[in-house]
Amino acid sequence: MAKKVNQTASFMVRFTQTIFEDEKGNNIQWRGKVSHVQGGDQKNFGDFNDAMEFIQLKLQELTLDATKDKTPEEQVGLLNKSLYIWKKVAKTGPKILLETIKDPKKQVSQIQDQIQDQISSISDELGTKVALDQWRNASRSDFKKMMKAIDSLSSEMKLLNKEVKRLAKSQKSK
Amino acid sequence: MSSFKKELVSLEKDFEEKNIHVFTLGGFKLWRSTRFVKNKEWGRDKTIQLFQFFISNRFRHGVHKEQIIDQLWETASDRDFKVALHGVNKILEPNRPSRQESKYIIRQGLSYHLNKNKIWIDVEQLEKYIALANRSSQENSQIAKKAYRKAIELYEGIYLPNRIYEDWSSEERERIQVLILGAYLSLAELTLKNKPLETIRLAQRAISIDPCWEDAYRIQMEAYLLRGNRPQAINTYRKCQDILNKEYGIQPLPDTQKIMKKIIQI
Repeated sequence: MAKKVNQTASFMVRFTQTIFEDEKGNNIQWRGKVSHVQGGDQKNFGDFNDAMEFIQLKLQELTLDATKDKTPEEQVGLLNKSLYIWKKVAKTGPKILLETIKDPKKQVSQIQDQIQDQISSISDELGTKVALDQWRNASRSDFKKMMKAIDSLSSEMKLLNKEVKRLAKSQKSK
Repeated sequence: MSSFKKELVSLEKDFEEKNIHVFTLGGFKLWRSTRFVKNKEWGRDKTIQLFQFFISNRFRHGVHKEQIIDQLWETASDRDFKVALHGVNKILEPNRPSRQESKYIIRQGLSYHLNKNKIWIDVEQLEKYIALANRSSQENSQIAKKAYRKAIELYEGIYLPNRIYEDWSSEERERIQVLILGAYLSLAELTLKNKPLETIRLAQRAISIDPCWEDAYRIQMEAYLLRGNRPQAINTYRKCQDILNKEYGIQPLPDTQKIMKKIIQI
């Protein structure tokens, strides 16, 4: 079993809000920066998808690094399970978010619990509660953006799964 | 004397009134009764880490021993924690009689916290200066400027640079960085009219911390404009445009573009 510190990835996300006026009237822009604490890498983003990709990449690296001693088949299997949390979020996210738009307070805790369930099912080490309380004040357009992001993540996941299956096949044929 | 002025004087006196002085910005240093405590005096690195952990969690009224162990050790026993705590207390109060409670590390049951009223900590002081400056900037810009300058003097670099990969220190590092960026910008705005060169210097320092901080580019352009340095103002806009395009794929905000238009029309 790898050391606990090698099984943990922490991310610090900074969002900076700018409200400005342009020819279309009042507008708002969010700029963000996500930092991976243990590795020191960081990424600026204007689209939350980029932050998700960055986090996902770091988590994949963590899984691969912690499974160096396993066979390629086992590695692929674990990587698949590791990516499962994103698949689940992508699958259940849009539906819950629609309900959230209708009744934000009630649904936010539901999202939190659902995500928590998925995380717990993969590893106890990843069992830190995902803090979504800050999202209570998100606007409808924020939710729309998130839904779009999750949809696109879902498509990317399909492609990634194909690639993983292809790798698995090529390993078996060797 | 105004209440803001009194507050500023009292903050300045704080340093003299306290026996333990801790510096965390740009590097970690501890002074006890005007004597610098060398690294080797701490013994194990975990002793320093435990003390730094207490500083990072100084707003909490007590952190449970198990939580501390969980954050600082891979696998640890009570004994490891006790050894490190003993090391911290020995550094802070080398002559404390055994069985006497520590003045600086407060224990409540199984929870511990730092008695920050008895220790001078640079980040704590920096935050107090910025809070005073923010509160006084409307009514008394002189006090605000002094307080911002004091805060900036204290900022010698990021919080605990040798712990950047430690989870427990990252929240505080981020919080302080955002605070100091705000202080640079606020002081840059206050000095723009009478000391545009200082504004330029402050904006440049903000940009060196965060190269994507658009407000800093904007105020720097305004300062160059006031100094009559059109080429540098344009150059600053270009840099801003390049970095925003590279990092976010966006254009500068309309306010920044407006200043650029103004510069072009000159």
